[in-house]
Amino acid sequence: MNKALVLSVLTVALFSTTALAETSGKRIALSNNYAGNSWRQAMLTSWDTVTKPAVEAGTVAAADAFTTAENQATEQAAQIQNLILQGYDAIVVNAASPTALNGAVKEACDAGIIVVSFDGIVTEPCAWRIAVDFKQMGRNQLDFLAAKLPGGGNLLEIRGLAGVSVDDEIHAGIEDGLAKHPSFKVVGSVNGDWAQDVAQKAVAGILPSLPDDIVAVVTQGGDGYGAAQAFAAAGRTVPTIIMGNREDELKWWKEQKNANGYETYSVSIAPGVSTLAFWVAQQILDGADVPKELVVPLVEVTQANLEDQLAVTGAGSVTNVEYTLEDTQATIAAAK
Amino acid sequence: MRAILAKPWVWSFFAAGGVWLVTIMFTGGASTLGLSQAALTFAAFSIIVGLGQMFVITLGPGNVDLSIPATMTLAGTAALKVMDTSDGMVLAGIAVALAVGITIGVFNYALIKLLRIPPIIATLSSSFIVQSAAIWYNRGIRIKPPDVLSQFATASTFGVPNVAIVALVISALAWVILEKGIYGRWVSAIGQNMRAARLAGVPVDGTRFATYVLCAVLAALAGFLLSCFSGGAALNMGAEYLLTSIAVVVIGGTAVAGGFANVPGIWGASLFLFLVVSMLNTYGASAGVRMLFTGVIIIGVVVAASRKPAA
Repeated sequence: MNKALVLSVLTVALFSTTALAETSGKRIALSNNYAGNSWRQAMLTSWDTVTKPAVEAGTVAAADAFTTAENQATEQAAQIQNLILQGYDAIVVNAASPTALNGAVKEACDAGIIVVSFDGIVTEPCAWRIAVDFKQMGRNQLDFLAAKLPGGGNLLEIRGLAGVSVDDEIHAGIEDGLAKHPSFKVVGSVNGDWAQDVAQKAVAGILPSLPDDIVAVVTQGGDGYGAAQAFAAAGRTVPTIIMGNREDELKWWKEQKNANGYETYSVSIAPGVSTLAFWVAQQILDGADVPKELVVPLVEVTQANLEDQLAVTGAGSVTNVEYTLEDTQATIAAAK
Repeated sequence: MRAILAKPWVWSFFAAGGVWLVTIMFTGGASTLGLSQAALTFAAFSIIVGLGQMFVITLGPGNVDLSIPATMTLAGTAALKVMDTSDGMVLAGIAVALAVGITIGVFNYALIKLLRIPPIIATLSSSFIVQSAAIWYNRGIRIKPPDVLSQFATASTFGVPNVAIVALVISALAWVILEKGIYGRWVSAIGQNMRAARLAGVPVDGTRFATYVLCAVLAALAGFLLSCFSGGAALNMGAEYLLTSIAVVVIGGTAVAGGFANVPGIWGASLFLFLVVSMLNTYGASAGVRMLFTGVIIIGVVVAASRKPAA
């Protein structure tokens, strides 16, 4: 089975490298709904780093990024309509809403434009989806904790922004994990909105009422450092806090590891997934047979690779992976 | 007793006290100290921005500052970048934060006065410019505050969090200028009737100008303190203070239509807003229930506070 996979990867790699020139006249646009946090900033930077050389090398004719100001689906729909009129051959989209852009996406498909959605995906069937398996992110946390703390114990859960589907999905994954490892019990739950200061405030508020034997904190990313600060401020021993690959979280982990051998686990997806979407669009334009549903690989930071991962994480950013054409072809082959 | 009950701010303290009591009952009193300290710490930031917003709202209908979150973000970002974790640059950092506040305040009022843009639109549009400036200036990179500042912001003096002491000093100053100073009288007079105030010789433009600058400076200061407290500035760090700043003013018993302000209510309301979330979290309410209850309780407090005392 593994051999077959490797073979198919090699075959795809072999075939598509010969067909590169096919897309040299094609133009790809990035439609992005939001740029106001460090993850999105890293996403846009990665897009630039990977697409500029691709344009210079003549792989594609253009790869322009457009960001809407207001994080509104209506505004992004109008933006996509503009991109259609400007005659782009493919539109890569990080969508403000899974359903509200479907009309505009359908218009693009009808005009013969390839639409690839990633991270914030769209449900319109004619588009490609590079989705994140958020449930798996939740399950991984409990699997790690079960291995580290076989005795189980009380957990604090920090959730994301209430009402957003990502929050529900990661939470569902954590529930799955709790069912699988019944020795753990969530004794408190707060919403940290994926922001360190909000998480810090929420944890500080509930902490005085929680029992002393919290063994771990399950999180959603962007909230671990705030939780650690809240525990320290309350004068409590800091439990095992799952991190979300943010640089401030990993740096704090490194300091603790050096000081007292602190152990934890960190998981998120790389902002560089925008570059995966770029190459997927390029491959589709090139005539490659790409499945409509792809899954973004999770990026994990463990006790063993913490130093290496921290080294590739920019200041204030998120642990990043920029995908190459070969990585992308492997991902596509794996999804077949 | 009657005189106290007639004060519009007393209800926010009743609400805060009640919620505090219910929360510590959950642990039979064991959480008293921890919860009180946490409440004072986090209320401090809402108090500082709330005071600025209070003066602006008191100027009368249509006056509100929506650029508070962006101002907090830019002030925190710029100050931390200038200080660059060096203890020797603390004064420079504070100066940068204050300069950011003054610049944004002047810019806001220039839009309102010279271009005749309604304050709600003027401050909203300037907040886009300010937020973009913060993104451009530092790209979301989190720089740690100097050690001396982060220690100060997270420590307590005699059990009272230092940030709460800062908020107390600012509140005392605000109370003095509102209740005893001529400036406070002018603000209230403008809010009650701008035309009458102008005819009575109140320097309307100067007072409004000073108020918008004051609000922006307080927001900048809050952003500076918050970024020192939470270990760095983030691009989205001010976001929740937009609604909070308006909510604490209203719950605190300041008239939304302007003309009547009070400082103590800002404290009651800020403590209340933090404690109500802690209470519902403590009792394990889901996010939906939590928002529902928060809404219902706020309506209750505002109704109670705005009831005219029986003559």
